[in-house]
Amino acid sequence: MIDHALVISPAAALLFHLKQGFWLYAWPMMIGFLTILGYQSLGRVTMMGTAKWLTVFGLASVVSMVSLFGWMAMVRRVEMIPFYGCGVGLASAMMSRIYAVTMPIHRRLKIRVIRVTWRGDTKGIEQLQQALRARAAAGVEAAVAKV
Amino acid sequence: MKRTLIALLAGTLTLSAQGPVPRPAPELKIVETSGKSAMLSSYRGRVVLLAFISTQCGHCQRASLVFEQLSHEFGGRLQVAEVAFDEAADPAAFAKRFGLTFPVGASSSDAAHAFLGVAPGARLGTPQVVAIDRTGVIRAQSERLGTPLLQTLDYLRDLLNAMFRLEAKR
Repeated sequence: MIDHALVISPAAALLFHLKQGFWLYAWPMMIGFLTILGYQSLGRVTMMGTAKWLTVFGLASVVSMVSLFGWMAMVRRVEMIPFYGCGVGLASAMMSRIYAVTMPIHRRLKIRVIRVTWRGDTKGIEQLQQALRARAAAGVEAAVAKV
Repeated sequence: MKRTLIALLAGTLTLSAQGPVPRPAPELKIVETSGKSAMLSSYRGRVVLLAFISTQCGHCQRASLVFEQLSHEFGGRLQVAEVAFDEAADPAAFAKRFGLTFPVGASSSDAAHAFLGVAPGARLGTPQVVAIDRTGVIRAQSERLGTPLLQTLDYLRDLLNAMFRLEAKR
């Protein structure tokens, strides 16, 4: 309660409320979002079966550290729980629209990059399926050649 | 049934009510552990930043450091004082631990509630910060469950400057 006769610049109060708003509402949402994004991406990269064990190990470690750090830093108030839930929901909804997460080698940079194929991207899905079929066929041919 | 509901509502309103702002500050005796005591009215002529704290509360500990900085910034124009009202509080140890140079005393919970204009036994969020002008009028006070804004350095600095400006106008 402040006496209305006092003329106080709103800047300090505005900055305070912005900071508080970020930590109370945006931060738990970001942590929820990042946790689900990380774990689902990890799951998909692992399920491809082509990623090196070191990549899977590194990714899993980073994702678990991010989520644990987030929980440690955000568990302060009960009011944060719905916002964390919103972040989880948003990430889950977004991930449900993703067909696959692959890590092809970049043509110019010659390094593995994360590539997302969306469910609506029929051309991308077809290319991915062709690549998988070609790889499977090459694997069969190599096996036959060995025999 | 109707009477019970009205009584319950009245009871809730009484418990959640607190003194209006501005209002004259009631008298308060601040007793330090050393036995030294000071009356709040003896600070008249200076702006007073008074906080009712719990020595175990983390917010109070952080706010005390803010008050210490403000007391240095404003020098003789500002008198900062803290009153611990938690049970088994040791204000001297608290002041020593956080390097506080302003008076830190103790009082009963009832005295704190009475000063803040809150019903005895009502839950209080700490710290309860009160800004009193040179004439002994309360110009700002925390909400009953606490006002985090009144614990921040920038806002308190602006508030104190606004109080000085208001007095200069009059």
